[in-house]
Amino acid sequence: MKDFDAPPQVPLRKPDDVMRLARMGSMFPTRLSFLRSLMRRLAADNVTVSRPVWMMDAEGFGHAVYTLELGGHTYSLVAVSTDLPPEMRTDRVIATAWDTAYVLYDGVPDASEIARITAAVPKQEAARFTERDLILSRANKSVRLFQNVVTSLRAGQQPDADMVRDVGYLMRTTAVYGNGKFGIADRAVIDTRPGLEGPFAAEMLTVWLIRHFTHDLVEHVGGAALDPVLKRHLGIGNSTGLGMAPFLVTHPVLLNNWMLARETALARVRAVETLDDGQQARIVELAARAAQHLQEWTVPDPEHQARIVKLRADWELARAGLDLTAEHPMDSALRGVADQSLDVQELMVALLIEPFGDLVDGLAECMGDPFGAFCQPLCTVEAIATAIEGGFAWALKPDYDDTECCGQFWYVSEAKQEPRLGLRFQEDGADLESPLDIGRRIKALYSDLAGQSGSAAQFLAKHPEHVLAITRVEMGAQYPYGEIRDNLIATDCLPIDMLRCKLSFFGASKFDPKSDRWTRITLCQGAPLAQDLQNGADDWWLPVSAS
Amino acid sequence: MVASVCLVSWSANEVQALATKAARGGGAPAGQAASFGRAAVCHLMAGRSAQDLIAALAALPTGPIVTLPVALAQVLETTDGSGTLLSDLPSLAQSYADTLPFAHEIAVTSHGIELSIQTDKAGPRSSVRRLDLPDDLLALWNDLAARILVPESEASRLGGAGAGLTDND
Repeated sequence: MKDFDAPPQVPLRKPDDVMRLARMGSMFPTRLSFLRSLMRRLAADNVTVSRPVWMMDAEGFGHAVYTLELGGHTYSLVAVSTDLPPEMRTDRVIATAWDTAYVLYDGVPDASEIARITAAVPKQEAARFTERDLILSRANKSVRLFQNVVTSLRAGQQPDADMVRDVGYLMRTTAVYGNGKFGIADRAVIDTRPGLEGPFAAEMLTVWLIRHFTHDLVEHVGGAALDPVLKRHLGIGNSTGLGMAPFLVTHPVLLNNWMLARETALARVRAVETLDDGQQARIVELAARAAQHLQEWTVPDPEHQARIVKLRADWELARAGLDLTAEHPMDSALRGVADQSLDVQELMVALLIEPFGDLVDGLAECMGDPFGAFCQPLCTVEAIATAIEGGFAWALKPDYDDTECCGQFWYVSEAKQEPRLGLRFQEDGADLESPLDIGRRIKALYSDLAGQSGSAAQFLAKHPEHVLAITRVEMGAQYPYGEIRDNLIATDCLPIDMLRCKLSFFGASKFDPKSDRWTRITLCQGAPLAQDLQNGADDWWLPVSAS
Repeated sequence: MVASVCLVSWSANEVQALATKAARGGGAPAGQAASFGRAAVCHLMAGRSAQDLIAALAALPTGPIVTLPVALAQVLETTDGSGTLLSDLPSLAQSYADTLPFAHEIAVTSHGIELSIQTDKAGPRSSVRRLDLPDDLLALWNDLAARILVPESEASRLGGAGAGLTDND
């Protein structure tokens, strides 16, 4: 813990308000998002990226190695590009082949290591990896845009700016694996290294380097350089499904630390008493940028597009209502949209945090979980019951016997050993349900506590099935933002809300939901290119096209 | 007799995840399965016998995987944080104690461990290294873990777990 006087802050928003799925599903990236933190770190360390290996044929198939030094360690991205028949190109996790595949390597791979990786990495989950391999990933081309850019460059022209804006990336990743998956290094191997201490920092570094590779690849095949302005607007896409959703439930300490940092940032900004002219102008500029970003955010799904259209209109009203000359203007700004949609409220939260790096950027250091859960045990039945009554009213409210309150169940699929969500009364497998039904478990615990007293351990001896629920109740006091305060097995539970929350912490924008269970997003759009890390590396919140 | 060892080395996270699933597949409640996953990593990191882990799984749905977390809770309830964890597998009990986030001291006896816990002080951070899994343990874990997997169905595929069959956008 650093010894310094924390800036003034207003009371935090209550977990009962913040930790609701609908609000989490309305979140936007902030300057505390992991990609933003990483870019600031890369800039502060004067990181440069070199490309010691480029073995590509004229059509862009082969392999490359990129290398950088960060925090006293050297890391390399090994990228492999293969010729993928169109019929094999799918974003589903069940895919077995991809346009490109990647390993973030610890150090600089020699020829034998490059040979090992280039042989294994196209196989992804079907291969085994080593402790030198830190992150494993793959990406497919946006065929439409990649080919358009190649054709334009070969014709001596720049690609269509509107198309670049509308698609936003040349490739999209369909998985970015870390923390020991398929034999790669445990996160514990790198989580104390400078620059990679933050959550998902190695994954974000990989994603940023993959984006760099996609730029190089299209320029190689096209035979000409991309306009740097267009290039900066080409991020890296991502396609994410249910596999990501349970993470927020199974990592309550991390979830708490992410949300607590964000809420603390907001509370500090709301305590700002007055704004000078420069600060006011900056907020007006950012609010206008947000409006343009919303205009450029279009998706095929009619329901979600309607939501964006409404947000555009509501945001104009919110902008018009900003009074930045009053006392406590940031607090007033948030109060001013309290009756607006959650989308407007959460966009306002992200806006208010953005100009105040000096107040909030240090909080990024508090978003990891280097020590694991550390909370005091509840030693009596009475203490457990009191804790549930005080912090888990949300869990006691639903009638979990009602079919609408238990209509879905989480499970792990045999085909890919990936998390899935089934319909309890229409599909088989509910008997193998994964323990993500935290609310139901806590209510069952509370029910069995009735009429009991004394030792919690003696209670557990009679009811060993409640160990998990008691653990979560014990964590509640220490980690108030650690639980999603909604029923995750209700028929109306939308996993897409969990995905958006997590992805916004990554720094994702342009959410493009394909159902309530998976979404496409854009990462790194507007992020600094490797060559301009020292120039405007931190001003790319809600990227917009230059035109 | 020395058990044969799979030539593949495993990350600690893989071991923890697989051990957790195996315990669930063997019939352990979810909380105890998670505790077993953490304890299994500590156990193997410390070079303790893989046969302890096999024996514990064989005892499910009762046995140490179910009772050791409760026994730890009993020690934590004592005013001085001291007590005995009775177990036929004392080294496994030691591994469970090693997963505690609190500073603690352990004395292994023939019938379990004597444990003294300081709940106001964090324990040392465990180091992580690669693990080799004996073939018999790996086979058992894989077998048990498979019991909690749900076969894909037409309904689940149509439910939108992933993207379309092809994505040539």
